[in-house]
Amino acid sequence: MLTDPSFWLVQGLNSLQLAMLLFLLSVGLTVIFGLMNFVNLAHGSLYALGALIGYSIAEALGSVWWAYALAPVAVAAVGAVLYITLIERLRSAGPLPQVLVTFGLIFVLMDAQRYLWGTDALGVTGNVPFSGTIHIGVEPYPAYRLFIIAVGFAVFGGLYLLLNRTRLGAEVRAGVDDAETAAALGVNVERTFFLVFLLGCALAGLAGAVAMPAFSAEAGMGVGILVPTLVVVVIGGLGSLSGAFVGSLVIGATLTFGTALFPDFAGVAMYAALIAVLLFRPHGLLPARG
Amino acid sequence: MTFRHLLAAALLAVLLVWHSQSEYYGFELLAEVAVFAILAMSLDLLAGYGGMVSLGHAALFGLGAYLYSWLGGPMVGLTAPMAMLGATLGTGAVALAVGAVAVRVEGIFFIMITLGFGQMGYEFFFQNKALGGDDGLYGIRRLDLSSVGIDLSDPGSFALAVILCAVVVYLLLAWVLATPFGTVLKGLHANPNRLRALGLRVHAYRAAAFAFAGAVAGFAGSISAQHTQFIAPHLLNWTTSGEVLIMLILGGLGTLVGPAVGAVVLVLLRHELSSVTDYWGAVMGGFLILVVLSRQNGLVGLTERLLHRRRG
Amino acid sequence: MMKRTVLAAAAAAMLAALPAKAADYKVGILLPFSGVYAGLGAHIENGFMLGLKDFGGELGNNTVSVVRDDTEADPGASLAKAKKMVLSDKVDVLTGIVSSAVLGALRDFVHSSKTPLVVSNAGNDDATGERCSPYITRVSFSNSSITRVMGPWMAKQGIKTAYLMAPDYAAGHQMMDAFRATFEAAGGKIVGEAYPPLQGTKDYGPYISQAKASGAQALMTFFAGGAAISFVKQYKEFGAAKDLSLYGAGFLTSAAYVHVQGEAADGIIASLHYVPTIDTPENKRFQDGYKAAYEGKLGSEFAVAGYDAAHVIVKAIAAAGGDKAKFKDELNKVSFNGPRGPLRIDPATHNVIQNMYIFRNEFADGKVTQKVLATIEGVQDPVNGCKM
Repeated sequence: MLTDPSFWLVQGLNSLQLAMLLFLLSVGLTVIFGLMNFVNLAHGSLYALGALIGYSIAEALGSVWWAYALAPVAVAAVGAVLYITLIERLRSAGPLPQVLVTFGLIFVLMDAQRYLWGTDALGVTGNVPFSGTIHIGVEPYPAYRLFIIAVGFAVFGGLYLLLNRTRLGAEVRAGVDDAETAAALGVNVERTFFLVFLLGCALAGLAGAVAMPAFSAEAGMGVGILVPTLVVVVIGGLGSLSGAFVGSLVIGATLTFGTALFPDFAGVAMYAALIAVLLFRPHGLLPARG
Repeated sequence: MTFRHLLAAALLAVLLVWHSQSEYYGFELLAEVAVFAILAMSLDLLAGYGGMVSLGHAALFGLGAYLYSWLGGPMVGLTAPMAMLGATLGTGAVALAVGAVAVRVEGIFFIMITLGFGQMGYEFFFQNKALGGDDGLYGIRRLDLSSVGIDLSDPGSFALAVILCAVVVYLLLAWVLATPFGTVLKGLHANPNRLRALGLRVHAYRAAAFAFAGAVAGFAGSISAQHTQFIAPHLLNWTTSGEVLIMLILGGLGTLVGPAVGAVVLVLLRHELSSVTDYWGAVMGGFLILVVLSRQNGLVGLTERLLHRRRG
Repeated sequence: MMKRTVLAAAAAAMLAALPAKAADYKVGILLPFSGVYAGLGAHIENGFMLGLKDFGGELGNNTVSVVRDDTEADPGASLAKAKKMVLSDKVDVLTGIVSSAVLGALRDFVHSSKTPLVVSNAGNDDATGERCSPYITRVSFSNSSITRVMGPWMAKQGIKTAYLMAPDYAAGHQMMDAFRATFEAAGGKIVGEAYPPLQGTKDYGPYISQAKASGAQALMTFFAGGAAISFVKQYKEFGAAKDLSLYGAGFLTSAAYVHVQGEAADGIIASLHYVPTIDTPENKRFQDGYKAAYEGKLGSEFAVAGYDAAHVIVKAIAAAGGDKAKFKDELNKVSFNGPRGPLRIDPATHNVIQNMYIFRNEFADGKVTQKVLATIEGVQDPVNGCKM
C-alpha cells in the first residue's frame, strides 16, 4: 500500500480537500479571533446555516450556483444581526462571557434550524456542478472534491490580496497588531471589526454551501465540525491567514493519513497534534503577532 | 464573605425543606443537584478564583466516575470507600499531569488546551470496549452503610448523603480559599506579573490548583456513578463542561455559593423545560445569553448589589 | 407537564363482548426530540400516534393517555426522566428509546421497578441477550439480526471477499461482527475493515479509497442518518461502484432519506426488517395513513417500529382488560401482521421475531424504489445468555 503511488495521490487529494473545507471555516474564525480577541463558538452553527440556506436556495432556484452566491450573503446578514445585538457588547468582556454567550447561541441557532428545516437530513438531488468523476492517471476521482480544493485556494489568494493590497487589509493588519494605536492613528476600528466579522460569517456560509452537495445538510451539523475548526485556529496561530492555511493542511493530513495508516489512533491524533503544538509553540505555528 | 456563608446556609435550608417535602422523583433531582453543586464549586475555585476557565472539567468528572466504577467493579474489586478514594486521588493525579502542561498557556489558549485534553479523554472512553465503549458501564454499586444503619439504596437517604457531601466540599473549599494558598490563587488571577516578580513559582501554584479542583471533580464523579448506577462517555464531553460553566455564571462567578445556586436552577430548568417544549435548548440558550448580557455577577451578585443599594 | 388524552372509549357496540372492568392506561413516550437523533424521534412518535389512531378501536372501554419527554442522546438525563414518568406520573408502560446507551442506562431501573418498556428502536444485542429483562420487550430489531442474514446470501451470489465499514461505536461493531461470522461460515473472506468516527467531519473519502485499494468484491456497511447520505454520495463520486459493489444494513438507504440520495442509491443491496414497497393490505393502510397525516411523507422503518409499538400495547390492553398485572404478561404474547409482515415476541428473550428483506434500490424516473430479492422468514435471535 505504502509503495503504491496512487495511494499517496488519492489520499493526498482527500487530505487537501478536507483541509480546504476546514480552511474556509477557520479563516473567518481566526481573523475575528486575532482582530477582536473574540472567540465565537457559534461559528460552526453559521456553517450549518450556510448549508441549510444553500439547500433551500438551490431547491428554489434550481441551481447550486445560486446557493454559492447567495448563502454567504444570507449568513453574513445573520452575522450582522448577531454583531449588533450581541457581539458588539461583548467585545471587551473577556473570554468567559464570550464563550458562554456563543455557547448559548449554539443552542438557539440549532433549535432555529430545527424549527425552520425540520429534523430530517436534506440534500440536493440534481444539477450539481462537477458531479462526475475525473481520471487522474488510472484512478477515478470525484471532480467535486477538486472543485472544493480550487475554491479553498481561490479564497486564500483573494484574502491574501485583500489583506496585503487594500486599505481595509492594512487596517486589519494594524488592528491585529495593536488596536489602540491603530485607532489613535485614525483607523475606524469599529467599522473594520464589523466588516471583518461579516466577512468571517460569509466565509462560514460559503463553506456550508460548498460542502452541502457532497455531504448533506441537517440541523445541528455545525456542532461536529466546530472542534476540528477550533483546533486548526489554535494550531495555526490566532489571527493569522497563513496560520489558518497551514493549520488546515496539518489537520487535514492528520485526519486523512491518520485514519488510513493508524486507524486505532485516528480519534485522538488531532488532539495530540493540538497539545504538541501548544507545548512547543504556545502561540501556534504562524502567530499573527510576534 | 460572611454574607455568602449565610446564603449558603439558606440554600442548605431550602434543600433540606425540599427534601422533607419530596417523594421519589424529588430525591432523584436533589441528588443530581447536589452532585452538580460539588462539580460547579470545584470549577469555581479554578475559573472564578483562579481565572483558569476550563472546558475540560467534565472530562475529569467523567474520569472520576469511570475510575470509581472500574476500581469498585469486578475488574479490580476494591471496596466502595477505597474506590471513592482511588477515584478522587487518581483523578487528582491525572489533573496534575494535565495541569502541569496546560497552565503554561493563558486565556483563550488555556480554554482550548483543556478542551483538547478533555475531548481526548472522551474519545478514549468512547472507543474503549473493555469499559463498555459508547454503550457505557452498568451495574455500579453504591456505598454500603448498612453497618451504621443507613440504607443508601433508599433514594431519600442517598439524596441526603449527597447533600452532606456537598456541604463538606463547600466547607473544604472555603477553608482552602482562606489559606495562604487561596490568597496566592486569587492574586494570580488579579495580577500574575506582580506575583511572578515576587519570585513566586506561578506555574506550580496554578498546576496545584488544577489538580485540587480536578480531585474534587473526580470525587463528584464517583458520587454521580453511584447515583445513576450507569455511566457513559457522554459525561466527559465538552458540552457538559459548558453546562457547568453556565451554572457558574447563573449563580455568580467566584462566590463559591453561587455555582451551587446555579446548579439548582439549571438542573430544575433542564428537567422541567424539556417536558414543556421540544425547543427547550433555545430557551435555555436565550436565558444564558440574557444573564451574561445583564452584566450582573449571577444571582448572588445581583442579591448583593440590591442589598448594598438598600443600605447605601 | 404535557398530557394529552389521546383516545376515549370506543364503539358502544363492542361493549357487550368485553369484560366489564376497564382502566386508563398511561403510556410514557421517551424519545429524542432534540440533538442528533431528533429526526428518528419524530418518525417514531409519528408512527406511534398513527398506530394509536388506527388500532384504538380495539381498546374496548379502556382508555390510553400519553405523556412524553425528550431523552436527547443523554443517558443520564434519560434515566432521570424515566424515573419521573414512573415515580411521579405513575405510567403503566414506557415506550420509545432510540440510543442503546439510553436503553443501557434505563435497564436496571425498569427491571427493578417492574415497569414494562416497549423498545421501538435501540438495537443493542445485549438488551435481549445477557441483559434481558422480563419487563423489556423489543419490537424494533437487534443489531446482529439485520446483517446476519446477508452473509450466506452474499456468499450464494458468488461473492468471495468483502471489506467492512461502519461508524466506530457499539452498534457499528455489532452489525459488522454478525455479518463477519455468517459470511466466513459460508466460505467468504473479510479482506479489510475500517471504522470511521461516529461524529466529526463525515468525510469518508479516505476510507472509500482504502476499501477500493483492498481489492475486495463487496463493501459491506452500516451507516444511518446524515452519515448514510454523505457516505452513499461519496461512494458514488469516487466511482467505486464499478469494481466494489455496495451492500449494507438497510438503514444505509432508509425510506427516511433515500430520496435525497437519489441516483447515488441505485444498485445498493441491503437487508432490513421493513421495506416501504411491501405489497400487503397492512402496509398499504400504514403508508396511506402516514402520508395523509404527515405531509405526504413516506413512512420509514422507524415510523413502523413506533406504529407496531402502539399496536402491541393496544393488543395487550385489549387482552388484559382492566387487569394491569395481566397487561405486563400480555405484552409478550402479542402477535399480528403489521406493515412489515408477521410479527411476534420471542418468549425466551422478548425480542421481536420477524421477516428480514434483502432488497435492491432501483433509480428510475427521478425516484428510488426497492425491489425485494429475498425474504428470510421468522428471523429469531439465539438466546445469547438471556435468563428471564
